[in-house]
Amino acid sequence: MSAVIEIAGLRKSFTSLRHGRRVALDGFDMLVETGQVHGFLGPNGSGKTTTLRTLLGLVRPDSGRMALFGEPTPERLPAVAPRFGAIVESPQFFGNFSGWRTLHLLAVAGGVPTTRVDEVLEQVGLRDRGEDRVRTYSLGMRQRLAVASALLKEPELLILDEPANGLDPAGIREMRDLMRDLAAAGVTVLVSSHILAEIEQICDHVTIISRGRRVAAGPVAEVLAGFDHGEFRVRVADQDRAAEVLTAAGLTVATLFDQLVVGGVEDPARLNQLLGEQDLWVSELTPLTPDLESVFLELTGTRPEPGVPRQVDESVLPAAAGDDPVAATVDDDRAAEADVSEGVRQ
Amino acid sequence: MNLVRAEFGRLAARRFVQLMVVLLVAAFTVTVLATLAGSRQPDAGEIQMAQQQADERRMEIGGLYDDCRQLEASGQSPADHYARDCEDLNPARIDASDHLPGVFVFDRQIRELAYFLIAFLCLFGFLVGASYIGADLTSGGMTNLLLWRPQRLLVLGTKLGALLAGVLGLSLVSTVLYIASFRLVGEVRGMPGVADAQFWADLLLLLARGLTLVLVASTLGFAIATLGRHTSAALGAAAAYGVVWEGGLRIVLEIVDAARPDVWMLSSYLGAWISGGLRFFANVDCFVTPERPVCDTSYTIGWPVGLAVLLGLVLVVVGAAFATFRRRDLA
Repeated sequence: MSAVIEIAGLRKSFTSLRHGRRVALDGFDMLVETGQVHGFLGPNGSGKTTTLRTLLGLVRPDSGRMALFGEPTPERLPAVAPRFGAIVESPQFFGNFSGWRTLHLLAVAGGVPTTRVDEVLEQVGLRDRGEDRVRTYSLGMRQRLAVASALLKEPELLILDEPANGLDPAGIREMRDLMRDLAAAGVTVLVSSHILAEIEQICDHVTIISRGRRVAAGPVAEVLAGFDHGEFRVRVADQDRAAEVLTAAGLTVATLFDQLVVGGVEDPARLNQLLGEQDLWVSELTPLTPDLESVFLELTGTRPEPGVPRQVDESVLPAAAGDDPVAATVDDDRAAEADVSEGVRQ
Repeated sequence: MNLVRAEFGRLAARRFVQLMVVLLVAAFTVTVLATLAGSRQPDAGEIQMAQQQADERRMEIGGLYDDCRQLEASGQSPADHYARDCEDLNPARIDASDHLPGVFVFDRQIRELAYFLIAFLCLFGFLVGASYIGADLTSGGMTNLLLWRPQRLLVLGTKLGALLAGVLGLSLVSTVLYIASFRLVGEVRGMPGVADAQFWADLLLLLARGLTLVLVASTLGFAIATLGRHTSAALGAAAAYGVVWEGGLRIVLEIVDAARPDVWMLSSYLGAWISGGLRFFANVDCFVTPERPVCDTSYTIGWPVGLAVLLGLVLVVVGAAFATFRRRDLA
């Protein structure tokens, strides 16, 4: 598969008189290939939106390499602009324009047939509200309008920053279905979101960012597998004796109320055999597989602690990606991805 | 071309622009109606009497005018004896209509009314120019547009071009309607005066200078708002300039007895451009003595200098706006 988005060693810092220099991106790498539905995850302030803004030419990077469809950006952005649609953060529109006029002006400016306006309004569920002024729209309706604007060009690549912001549950479901439909039609989708369950459902690949650095990337299943410690929940009648047997067999055992959590299990049949030989009969044996939320919280160090309010910049600062991020190649990036699981274990 | 069409559409659809157009039309309508209501058609007797009064006045000042001219020809300043400018005493400038109170005379009064038109159009252009880009930058409209057309200078240049074309078109239409309305008032409820070819040439020149000034004001509003990222930046800059520079600095220069404070003021060059040249008097001690019979402290800023300063200012501000916008991080 060919690369649609390539980012290598991207650095960006913002300087203000009041707060001094703040690093937003610190050698960030990313690779999105054709046909992927790629989730982009990170805590608040981790650099997701800055990455997308920089990729789309709205923010100037300090250093690093970026390419869209193989064309270096921002230099060749005008050449590839007709091939992607994007919404970044919460898009703002003129409140006095109707949704239809907003899209019509964009279509005219971009040389897109204006017949597309009605099509995309229908697609995002705003057909009957298209003539209303945008100021009368709810947050969710504005979000739909933003997605409509990104779809106007019939893009090959769709970049969506928090598309579910403000959407009601039905809207979230519709957005998920829309992304699935687009992916099925061959559109590559890069979506950043905080709703991890959504990402897990619709994305086949994921990149996780923390404090401006990539902490994990690759197929969702592989990233999750990196956190699979072979843990099982075991329920037996004699819990204490079962714990002794399993510990003696070299497994890690933790007691949790009326059940045991056993780690380091390569084959659950072996666990069953160990207990059965001692006349201990298993009433429940459940594998504990990690989900994206637990992986995300672990990788970014943002797992909430009772009574301790977490600050936005208190996520984990991962190790720097490389000595010379500007010179890093996408091949390096791919190699780095292969090592993600190892990196995560460490 | 698509971008240009879109920008014209965006400009025309802006509510602030629509509001300003309504205010423009309202202001001009009120001016025309007030003139119409305050004027009357003089009868033949009034005109004859006014003619006599004008003849008498011409005879009174004819001698003074000749003396003033002689003094001027000898190299002396007439300011101490007659008037700062001998032309103020020119009998040819006296007209019977000067002695017809309450009568609107088109050829005598249209210049002052044209200044009002130009001032209002300048305000319109400045506010619309600042708001057009300022609202786009703060509302995210510019960001949306750049996602579609990621060519910053082209987008900003097209916006400026659409603004100037729009303001010029509206100014031309409103100028024609404005002048025509007053001409009609002069015809039906006043006096048209002697509107000969020279008069029309002078009026057209004044209007052309005025329209140039409208474009300068629009460009400055647009460029300052671009630099400051907000509409209010342009308004603040204009207010600050007026108070700090034109007001404050003028006072300071007078306190320190600066010889020519007017050369530091933009308003001097603006006035010189619009009126075809302005004469100022230097703040220096000047006494006529036998050794120095001529004591003329006046100096003139001609319209070419006025235009050069205005265009120079526009070039600097627009250049800074484009250079900044090219490199700026957009929210």
